[in-house]
Amino acid sequence: MNKATRIGKGASQRSARNDSIGTSNHISRRDLVGTLASLAALTIVPRHVLGGAGHTPPSEKLNIAGIGIGGRGQGDLHECNSENIVALCDVDEAYAGKVFDTYPKARKWTDYRKMLDEQRDIDAVIIATPDHTHAVISMAAIKRGKHVYCEKPLAHSIWECRQVAEAAREAGVATQLGNQGQASEENRLVSEFIWDGAIGPVHEVHAWSNRYISPRGIGRPKETPPVPKTLNWDLWLGPAKQRPYHPCYLPFSWRGWWDFGTGVLGDIGCHQLDPVFRALKLGYPTTVEACSSGVNDETAPLSSIVRFQFPARAGMPPLTLSWYDGALMPERPDELEEGRKFGNPDDNLFIGEKGKMLGHRLIPEPKMKAYDRPAKSIPRSPGHHKEWLNACKGGPPARANFDWAGPLTEVVLMGNVALRMEKQLYEKGLKLRMDGPNMRVTNLPEANRYIRDEYRDGWTL
Amino acid sequence: MKHASKTKANASGLSRREFVGAAAAVAAFTYVPKRVLGQAGGSSANNKLNIAGIGVGGRGASDIDGVSSENIVALCDVDLKRAAGTFKKHPDAKVYRDFRVMLEKEANNIDAVVIGAPDHIHAPAAIMAMEMGKHVYCEKPMAHTVYEARRMTEVAAETGVVTQMGNQGHAGEGLRLYWEFIHDGAIGTVREVHVWSDRAGTKERPWWPQGIDRPEGSVPVPDGLDWDLWLGPAQWRPFAKFPNGRGGEATYVPFNWRGWWDFGCGALGDMAVHNADPAFFALDLDAPTAVEAETSELKDETLPISNIIRFEFPAKGSRPAVKMTWYDGGNLPERPADLEEGRRMGGNGILFIGDKGKLMGGSHAGVPRLIPETAMKDYGKPPKTLPRSPGHHKEWIDACKAGDPKSAKSGFWYAGPFTEALLVGNLAVRLQKRVEWDAQAMRSPNCPEADNYITKFYRAGYTIM
Repeated sequence: MNKATRIGKGASQRSARNDSIGTSNHISRRDLVGTLASLAALTIVPRHVLGGAGHTPPSEKLNIAGIGIGGRGQGDLHECNSENIVALCDVDEAYAGKVFDTYPKARKWTDYRKMLDEQRDIDAVIIATPDHTHAVISMAAIKRGKHVYCEKPLAHSIWECRQVAEAAREAGVATQLGNQGQASEENRLVSEFIWDGAIGPVHEVHAWSNRYISPRGIGRPKETPPVPKTLNWDLWLGPAKQRPYHPCYLPFSWRGWWDFGTGVLGDIGCHQLDPVFRALKLGYPTTVEACSSGVNDETAPLSSIVRFQFPARAGMPPLTLSWYDGALMPERPDELEEGRKFGNPDDNLFIGEKGKMLGHRLIPEPKMKAYDRPAKSIPRSPGHHKEWLNACKGGPPARANFDWAGPLTEVVLMGNVALRMEKQLYEKGLKLRMDGPNMRVTNLPEANRYIRDEYRDGWTL
Repeated sequence: MKHASKTKANASGLSRREFVGAAAAVAAFTYVPKRVLGQAGGSSANNKLNIAGIGVGGRGASDIDGVSSENIVALCDVDLKRAAGTFKKHPDAKVYRDFRVMLEKEANNIDAVVIGAPDHIHAPAAIMAMEMGKHVYCEKPMAHTVYEARRMTEVAAETGVVTQMGNQGHAGEGLRLYWEFIHDGAIGTVREVHVWSDRAGTKERPWWPQGIDRPEGSVPVPDGLDWDLWLGPAQWRPFAKFPNGRGGEATYVPFNWRGWWDFGCGALGDMAVHNADPAFFALDLDAPTAVEAETSELKDETLPISNIIRFEFPAKGSRPAVKMTWYDGGNLPERPADLEEGRRMGGNGILFIGDKGKLMGGSHAGVPRLIPETAMKDYGKPPKTLPRSPGHHKEWIDACKAGDPKSAKSGFWYAGPFTEALLVGNLAVRLQKRVEWDAQAMRSPNCPEADNYITKFYRAGYTIM
């Protein structure tokens, strides 16, 4: 870090104030709510112009720390191994063992707090821990001026998303969410085709994921097996409520447990909905409704449908976005050729007034073949991790920086609030009415308990 | 009633199997005399029907109550304990455990049967009874497979007996109101219908378990239950316990058979016969041209926990093609934007979407209302153009006495094609793909493998012809 940090920080802070939803005098709330993109664009400019904060020159290598390295973190580190991997931190020595071995020069840590306090040469962190620790770790890094790459979803609760995004903006650090699909050609084609009017105005989008993520629809185990010697269970729990160790939570299988993960929607939503939010300039929804194979307080449902209503946005009509998981799918479109597989296990179907698009292809295929494609107006990515590394070194902000990722994850997590209130919505005959800017459900006050997690004693953001 | 030719066949010492065949052959004779003789009064001296019950515990008990204005002359149940209450109410009725034995022994003493046994028993019992010239009231779903529904419809037509499926909502005010609203143009042209049920229940609130595998091992068969007879046409399996989805255990009997492919038809079979009835009736639907399904995990032996099944019905007469979507196990249609906040859609219901409005109602073809409520207030009620029913069981009894199958409004002539269409939906669930449907050929042009489920295995002694 050098002195530029402070200058950059100040500028970013000012711009952040102007851009933050609900505080601007010049732009109506509706306009702001309308699009995440407008929000992101405004915040991007000053940092870019000023060259950002605390950036390592392109000629130098970044010193990167990996936090949560056994699973997805391993892949993220691999993508960034052109830099110096100087520190590795994991609470599960056994699961992380092979990754420690891959980077023998890196210092090994169990507690990220200690690592950030004691190892001063770190410029940037890659966070790939379970969802429930994303925010506390991101925040600790941001407060120390570290650049942050964080796996998706950005955080475990809506409130955390907001805090982390605001803190990153104020600190002026380079950020990126781990939704690497955003860097793809396909992601851009979706926007370019829709903006070209290829399928006319879009009123309806269906998104689905049939991915198996972890056991769901089950209750908490009663057995209390001993904690393996290689695991720091207390640190793994982090801010989550105390509970006895059980192998059903880790590795990987935490995703279905509400206290740790965010279900299929949280896991895949930030990937799957990214092109939808970009192409259709979505902001916060007005209402969210959900139904499922049964929600309990412990785990996400086996299958669910979540429906978001978005208001009209600049030049675009109101839109219903339906999310399906657990093998549920939307209706097969008539346009899809007989014998053609209905999309991928994770995919999107866009329904416009003049046509339909499955993923990034118009259907049926002859329509795609005949389509006179628009110019490639959106800059292509050098690669998702590379975007972030470039941003860390003073380049333009990464495309899924937290100004983008924060609101995107917030909306995804609103779906989970609706799921957890499924029974009440059904019994009371309601959809959740969302006041996105103020992070509130306006018509079912008890739903607001799912906007922000209660932390265990000793943990704060 | 007199069934001389049939009685002769029975008396001639034919085996049951031969007998059933012979009965079919003489079916024409049993029909004609009834009409000719105008036997509106039934056979008994006091102008009452002589009725036998097959499966008389559980729902069957209510059905026997529903026809108790008539003479209950014989009762059959494989579970003596569960049926004990019904036996006690009708102390003069002869008690049987095997419906085949009962039908043969009581052939001369009964006019009609009421079937309240599980789904897999419906067709063997109903077909045997119809071929003996007996009128049939059969619980819903009418049949366990597409083929059974087809065959039961045919046999009912061939024999001319009076039939009725136990979807009692069909006799209600609600069903008629749907027809009257729609035919009065209250919501314009309908191209889209959504139907839902909270069964088989969600994982947290199950009515009966689905989405499970066959349990290992066995447990003792409870006193009073003849497990082999309960299995009837189904392949033998041990009596066993399995998780009931609420943290406890269940056995197949009673009620928890509904989710097992060998015995039941899941939520669709249990509830679509009620909840989708207004769509079939008011829109005059029959066979779909294609059905697709999205479901939670499919196991070999049970239905998935939650399902969405989409039916495509072709245009017919002046009505355009209709898409009907079925939701169960916690799935629901999108809440209509014009449905007032705070107004429940309910655990079971149907929503018609017309080009000029929406009509919604609850379970069992309950009384519908235009939505939003302001539309209902503006519209009032449509003209009452359809005749009302004296009640579902009574309607059947009266029809039996009049010898007029068409005056039982959910007779197999109506309920057969309806049930068949619904069961094509279960083909899509089992095949996990879009099933195109050629109703005339009773085959799927794009899924020859559907043949495995259009009909099924029958144990000897229960074969359907």
